[in-house]
Amino acid sequence: MDRWFLLIATLLAAIGGTWGMISVHRGTRSHWTVAWMVAVMFCQFGFLSVRGQLRTACPLHDLGEMLVFLAWSLTLFYLLIGPAYRISLLGVFSAPLVFVLQSGALISGLFTVSPQRDPSPNLFHSLHSATSVLAYGALALAGVAGIMFLVLDRQLKVHRLKSGLFRNLPPAHQLLVSLERLLWLGSGLLTLGIVAGFLMPPTTPLHSHLIVAMAVWVGYAALLAVKTLRGLTGRKLALAAVAMFILSLVVFARV
Amino acid sequence: MELLCLGLNHRTAPVEVRERFAVSTPQLGAAASDLATLADATEGVVISTCNRTEFYLAASDAQQALILLEARLTLRESLDAGAASHFYRKVKSEAAVHLCRVVSGLDSMMLGETEIFGQVKQAYQAALAAGTTGSVLNRLFQRAFGVGKKVRTETSIQEGSTSVGNVAVDLAEKIFGHLKDSEVMILGAGEMSRITAQSLVSRGARSIFVSNRSFDRAEALARDMGGQAVRFDEWQQALERVDVVISSTGAPHALIHRADVEKVRRARKFRPLFFIDIAVPRDIHPDVAEIEEVYLYDIDALEQLASEARIRRQLQIEHCERIIDAELAKLNLPGT
Repeated sequence: MDRWFLLIATLLAAIGGTWGMISVHRGTRSHWTVAWMVAVMFCQFGFLSVRGQLRTACPLHDLGEMLVFLAWSLTLFYLLIGPAYRISLLGVFSAPLVFVLQSGALISGLFTVSPQRDPSPNLFHSLHSATSVLAYGALALAGVAGIMFLVLDRQLKVHRLKSGLFRNLPPAHQLLVSLERLLWLGSGLLTLGIVAGFLMPPTTPLHSHLIVAMAVWVGYAALLAVKTLRGLTGRKLALAAVAMFILSLVVFARV
Repeated sequence: MELLCLGLNHRTAPVEVRERFAVSTPQLGAAASDLATLADATEGVVISTCNRTEFYLAASDAQQALILLEARLTLRESLDAGAASHFYRKVKSEAAVHLCRVVSGLDSMMLGETEIFGQVKQAYQAALAAGTTGSVLNRLFQRAFGVGKKVRTETSIQEGSTSVGNVAVDLAEKIFGHLKDSEVMILGAGEMSRITAQSLVSRGARSIFVSNRSFDRAEALARDMGGQAVRFDEWQQALERVDVVISSTGAPHALIHRADVEKVRRARKFRPLFFIDIAVPRDIHPDVAEIEEVYLYDIDALEQLASEARIRRQLQIEHCERIIDAELAKLNLPGT
C-alpha cells in the first residue's frame, strides 16, 4: 500500500512538472500547478502515514523514508509559500526535484519493504528526525527559488526577454524575499532538530551526523548573518543557497 | 432593420477634423439620443475617443440613413463637401466586424491596446442608459465584448510593451515587483525621462528625485511630479537610496561610471539597481552593467524590445481576425 502511494505521488509530480513546463514553454500561466502539488502531497502523506503506523514511530528510519519525507516537506513549503506569493512557477521548478527524490526512494530500493516496529520510540529522536528533514525541505525550496532567481537574473542581464519562462517568472525581488524567508525558516527548524538531537538518549558520544548538522547550521547562519548585516547581491545569495543545499545533501549522504 | 456605422479615426482624419466630432464622456448618452432621432433610425450608439468617433445605427434602410447622418454631421460642423472623404462607412456584417476589430484593439493606433475596450463599453452603457439601444445594437455590442475578450485571451495581441516608456516600466516591475517601495531618480529633465518617470509613478513608485544641471529645471520637474530636486553635484549621494535611475542628460560623454556605482554598493547593501539610459550619447558607461546587481538598458535595447513586441502583435492580426469571423459566423446577428 505504501509503495502505491509513493508510486502515484511520483507519477503526479512528473505529470505536474511536465504540464507546468509545457505551459511555461507556451508562455501561459500554469494554473494547475497548485492542484497537482496538493495531490502529490496527499499521496506523500498517505505513504508516510502507512509507514508511520507500521513503525509506530516517525517514519524516518531508512534513507528511502527520509527522501520521501524531504520531498513531502518541500511540497508542503511550496504549498505554504507558492500560492500566497503568487509564484506558481515555484511548483513547476519544485516538481522535478520531488520526482527525483521520490524516484530515488522507489527505484534503488532505499526503503525497507517490510519495516519493523521501532522497539523503543523516543520523542526527541522523532522530533530530531522530523524537524531536520522539514528543515531540509525548506532549504531545498530556497535552493529552487535560488535557481529561479539565477535564471531570471541571467535573462535580465543579457536582455533575453522573449521566452515564455521569462514572462512567467515572478519578479526578482519577490524571489529573493521568498528565498531569504525560506533560509530563515530552514535554519530555525535545523536549530530545533539539533537541540532535539542533543536531548536524544546517548548511544555514541556524539553522532557524526549531528556534527555535520551543526556544520551545516553554522554555514547557513553565517550566510544569513552576512546577508543581514553586510548585504549580499541576489546572485551570490542564490548561488550560496543552491550550493549549500547540494553540499549538505552530499555530506549527509556520506555520513 | 439594418446595421450601419459611420466613423472617422486617426488613419482617415487629422486631429483638427477629429476634434470637431469628438464627444465628451458625459455627453455620450445625449449624443446617442440625438442619433436615434435621425429619420429611419431606431437605435444609436456613439463611440468617441481621442483617436476615433463612430456612430452605430440600426435603421430600416442603411444606405439612406448613412446619407442622412453624413449630411447632418457636415451641416452641423459646417464642413465643406471634401470632409466626406474623412468618413468610413460600414453596413450590415461589415459594421459588426469593424466593431469587433475596434473592441479587440485591432483598429487602434497602438495595436492591441486595451483601453479601447473600456471606452466602447462606456459608450454602450451611456446609450443603454439613454434608452437608445434595442434588439439590434444590444446583441451586437454584447457579442463584440465577448469576441474582444476571446481575442485577448486566446491570442497574444496585448502582450509585451510597444513603447520605450512602458518597456522600462515593465522591466522595473520584473525586477522589483510592486513599485510602491521603489524610489526613482531622474538625471536630466528631458521630456523622455519625464514620461518614463511618470509611468513609474502611475504604477506606484514611492518617490522621485530629479537632478539636472540647471537646478531651476530640476525643481520645476520635481514640483510637477511631486518629487524632490537634487543638486547635480549631489546625485551620487541619492544613488545610495534609489532603485531606478532614468538618465537623459545632454552630456557629450558618459556621466555614470562603474566607479560611481562601486562606491555606493556597500551602502546600498548590494540591492538591485535598474539603470534606464535614454540619452544619446549614452550617459551610463556600459561597464556599469558588469556589476552583479545592476541591470542596464540603453535606448537601443529598450527600442528593440518595444519593436519586437510590435512585430509580435502584428503577427497576431490574422489569428485575431479568424476568431472574429468564426465568432460572428456562429450566430445570426440582427441587422447584418
